[in-house]
Amino acid sequence: MQPLLRVEKLVKCYERQNVFGSREKLLALDGVSFAVAQETTLAVVGESGSGKSTLGFCISCLEIPTSGSIWFEGRDIVVLAESERRKLRPQIQLIFQDPSNSLNPRWSVEEILLEPLNLKGKLKREETKQRAVALMTQVGLSSDMFQRSPAQLSGGQRQRLAIARALALEPRVLILDEALSALDCSVQAQIANLLIELQRTLGMTYLFITHDLAMAAHLADEIAVMNRGRVVEQGPAQNILRHPKEEITRHLLAAIPSLDNAERPPLES
Amino acid sequence: MTMRRPLAKWLVILGVLHAIVVCAGFFAPYDPIEQDRKNPYLPPMPLHLLDAQGHLHLRPFAYALKLREGTFDQYEQDTSQSVPMKFFRSGAGYRLLGFLPSRIHLFGSEDARICLLGTDAYGRDQFSRLLYGGQISLLAGLLGAGCTLSIGLCVGAAAGYFGGWRDDALMRVAELFLALPWLYLLFALRAFLPLSVSPLKAFFLIVAVIGAVGWARPARLVRGVVLSAKERDFVRAARGFGATDSYLLRRHILPETSSVLLTQAAILIPQYVLAEMTLSFLGLGVPEPAPSWGNLLSNLQQYSVLVSYWWMYLPALAMVPFFLGYLGLASSLQERLEPYKIERRSPGSLA
Ligand SMILES: Nc1ncnc2c1ncn2[C@@H]1O[C@H](COP(=O)(O)OP(=O)(O)OP(=O)(O)O)[C@@H](O)[C@H]1O
Ligand SMILES: [Mg+2]
Repeated sequence: MQPLLRVEKLVKCYERQNVFGSREKLLALDGVSFAVAQETTLAVVGESGSGKSTLGFCISCLEIPTSGSIWFEGRDIVVLAESERRKLRPQIQLIFQDPSNSLNPRWSVEEILLEPLNLKGKLKREETKQRAVALMTQVGLSSDMFQRSPAQLSGGQRQRLAIARALALEPRVLILDEALSALDCSVQAQIANLLIELQRTLGMTYLFITHDLAMAAHLADEIAVMNRGRVVEQGPAQNILRHPKEEITRHLLAAIPSLDNAERPPLES
Repeated sequence: MTMRRPLAKWLVILGVLHAIVVCAGFFAPYDPIEQDRKNPYLPPMPLHLLDAQGHLHLRPFAYALKLREGTFDQYEQDTSQSVPMKFFRSGAGYRLLGFLPSRIHLFGSEDARICLLGTDAYGRDQFSRLLYGGQISLLAGLLGAGCTLSIGLCVGAAAGYFGGWRDDALMRVAELFLALPWLYLLFALRAFLPLSVSPLKAFFLIVAVIGAVGWARPARLVRGVVLSAKERDFVRAARGFGATDSYLLRRHILPETSSVLLTQAAILIPQYVLAEMTLSFLGLGVPEPAPSWGNLLSNLQQYSVLVSYWWMYLPALAMVPFFLGYLGLASSLQERLEPYKIERRSPGSLA
């Protein structure tokens, strides 16, 4: 089957000029390749600084990769003209890692939630409002928060607002950058179930970025492990969990807190 | 919430000061260009409640002035002739706010004129001229600052948002503008323009000249804000929803510049009032007989006026409360308009 999203030899190089004027290069992505089929979930796990967020930015057309290609529905979206990329962006939504930065502090919760719908247009005022209320309930927020500013929400509430906002456009691909990490277990489970249900009804495809292998194992069909800008290991979730090949994967597995110590995979030093 | 009070306080102070100037027709007892050639350079007439006999009067009064014996320009109070102040008295006609015709003045007198700040060479009441002059000077400052900030906003936003060669080019021009000796260029510029123009034209010339000069600093500040704002996640998120450049600028980025603009306005307006005064002082501003703060002070160019009639200096003090008001407003705006400064408990409450 033709994958919905295919990333080929993606390289993202950040350049910085130091005081002497010479350029320092920093390879955030160093030849990443993978493919995701429609209606599946790929978890991208890796240590901090391994390039996971950068990957999310490139795929959602918010950063232009240095080289490589990203195939989405048969088109290479890296080489598209800016006007084409703008039309494409609503279909590939990114939930930002830090919701306190991705919500405009001057706006109210309602304005924030309605922004994607208003930008899309086509909907009437009443319909938009109804949709906003529905989205809020889906992520377990009550709509009497509408007039608050994001600073008046808790971290978890902000995170859920960001999730609701990204779901508003019903994107084909949703990239969740540590989207569930800040939530408590019961809310995590509620959102996870919501995501699974949306995947079934709308056929959404998820790129689930996390450092939490347990969460990845629960949600994902496949797992890609990243280290220093490369995908070092990729395969079906259960395979990765049971037979980790790379040391970095074993490190990540060892970090899963478990009540039963016996279940821990052995850690080779 | 202790931070909110100073801002409101400054706004009230400035509001009252501006209201007095805007309603100059009502607060000024006389027409600013009405001459009284028989009484040039009258000194200020103080108001009294106690008369020479020690009697208390409820109505404030002034003493008429008479020439001191043996002099031709030294006046003294004539304690035999008191001029009681009359409130809400009908006098010279004026148009309130430019359109409401009225004759009512806050105060006036029956026979002799009460000139609180004295008179000038033509016997015109300095107090009335001061209030009317404020209209021209402050309006020039406000409009000039408006011009400057609009240019600064456009240039700064374009440079910061679009970046690249446009940024480089605009910022080089801005640096050039910052480096030029402005006062002397203003003279040169004004000298090229026709010397005798109608007061209205002269006014708009000054506003345009002053306003076009100072855009570089606000432009650089706006550019800095735009530069950091456009990289913020909420701007990227909106771009992700398919937003266009103009939407991002309008809804997310330009609102971020509001605190810089307001603060700059509070700094620029008094500066520009001063610039108008400098130009008018040198005779390059609004022509006589129209009063402006600079025109009022231009008498001081003559040595004889400078040494003999100290009260001709008083208009220079009129702007002091305005300046203090605007500077206070600027600093409390700076404190107040930081949306990311989430209200913290004051350190005192921890103790
Ligand atoms: N805008 C940028 N300019 C320069 N370097 C950057 C930029 N963004 C990221 N990097 C660098 O790229 C590397 C990968 O960063 P990235 O944010 O993708 O990591 P991450 O895997 O998301 O980490 P975390 O789990 O902590 O979020 C890091 O070394 C980081 O310093
Ligand atoms: Mg990250």
